[in-house]
Amino acid sequence: MTNIPTRTSFSKSSGKTYTLVELVHRAPAQMVDHGPDNTVFAFPVVALLELLLTLGVSAVLLFMSLTINAPLEEIANPNQTTDPAKAPWYFMGLQEMLEHGHPTLMAVVIPTILVLFTLAIPYIDNDRQGSGRWFTSERGKRIARNTAIYALLVMPAFILLDNSFPPRELLRGIVPDFVAQTLIPGAIMTAIVIAPLLVLRRSKPNAREVVLTLFTLMFVSAIVFTLTGFLFRGPGFELYWPWNMPDGYNPFLNL
Amino acid sequence: MSNLVQTITQSRIWRSFFRHGWPDNPLDRSLVMTSNIFFHLHPVKVNRKSLRASYTLGLGVMAVILFLELTLTGMLLMFYYAPTVERAYTYIVALQTQTPYGQLLRNLHRWGAHLMVLVVVLHMARVFYTGAYKPPREFNWVLGVGLLLLTLGASFTGYLLPWDQLSFWAITVGTSVAGYAPVLGSTAKAYLLGGPEVGQEALTRFYALHVMLIPLGIALITSIHIWRVRKDGGLAANDDR
Repeated sequence: MTNIPTRTSFSKSSGKTYTLVELVHRAPAQMVDHGPDNTVFAFPVVALLELLLTLGVSAVLLFMSLTINAPLEEIANPNQTTDPAKAPWYFMGLQEMLEHGHPTLMAVVIPTILVLFTLAIPYIDNDRQGSGRWFTSERGKRIARNTAIYALLVMPAFILLDNSFPPRELLRGIVPDFVAQTLIPGAIMTAIVIAPLLVLRRSKPNAREVVLTLFTLMFVSAIVFTLTGFLFRGPGFELYWPWNMPDGYNPFLNL
Repeated sequence: MSNLVQTITQSRIWRSFFRHGWPDNPLDRSLVMTSNIFFHLHPVKVNRKSLRASYTLGLGVMAVILFLELTLTGMLLMFYYAPTVERAYTYIVALQTQTPYGQLLRNLHRWGAHLMVLVVVLHMARVFYTGAYKPPREFNWVLGVGLLLLTLGASFTGYLLPWDQLSFWAITVGTSVAGYAPVLGSTAKAYLLGGPEVGQEALTRFYALHVMLIPLGIALITSIHIWRVRKDGGLAANDDR
């Protein structure tokens, strides 16, 4: 009996299990053509859909496994380095980043910021409105598309320019290593991230549109860096066309 | 025939297994879900909107399917493997050349692992672009990021196990990145490798992480993840009006 509140008040400690969460604005009162709640029984509908999906995934996996063999090279030899020595494909973005700045910045600081940003997304954009719809709105869709195009142009340009004119090499001995390896690449990265936010700011974005910009920039850049490291880096970790690798190197044989 | 079916399904043994009748009516269709441990993570009824293929793309379910298939093939692979520097590679060669369907088993596990990483990343992108991380689902997004990192960890630790040139140098390159982190980096690397370079200690630790710790973590957090989907009001697709 101790759990039952003795007083019917609305103080926070009353132990009541209900609360006024929010006032719903747009929801229509009637659900014409939707049946009482627009639901179906999970059994058998969902169970069958999941069975179908299981069969589909298994079929794709089995087909791949019957046609392509998993790679196996010579036994591990710590005295003989492979060329190129690459991490698994999903870490090739990180390894590519290492080519463009000091390891502490590229492999530690930036990835840490990206993981923390990803974790923080729902706390930055904490408006309940606009969930359950791709890109939330037409404007959101435009923002995501424009940011993706921006990242697809800027990131390869950065990789190519930095590869041809690496500040680390050109400024060696002229400025301290910290400036050439950490400050300059860090400043360039910061500018790349801030530029679209400045453009966005003029149209008074909401939190959803800000994280749409930042996440798209991160996601597309991660794809660009991963593909560059995985597909376009050959022996000596130099840039080549994937179809024109020296020594017959084929990145797909190392999956 | 129908007599036989009736005798079986009304026997005390059958009734002790299944506490519901044939699911052709609302009550029994509900009981199928609530009285079955494998189904009970589902709600009894789901909103039609959350079943739209163009909304979920089925990616979350695919990730679970791939995880289960990887668990199955992984357990079978354990019968033909020993995590020692002297024997790991020869075991893999023997698996591929002498064990019936050994090569196929290894292929399934390897391509399944790559697919799972891909599917989990795409699932995260889907959840982000549909705004499904918004309140009250913040914490489930955090769990999902944890699952993504665990998936990468599972794939990375498994990469070393064949002990060929590919795995040795990939792990050497991958773990050297950890060493660049100030303070924590060298400690993390030392714990992971158990020594200055990739050797027997690293193989032992990667094996333990790969077959035990990480899969258990994924299974546990996935259970919470799916349970939270229900507790947070089903898929966010239901919110859209």
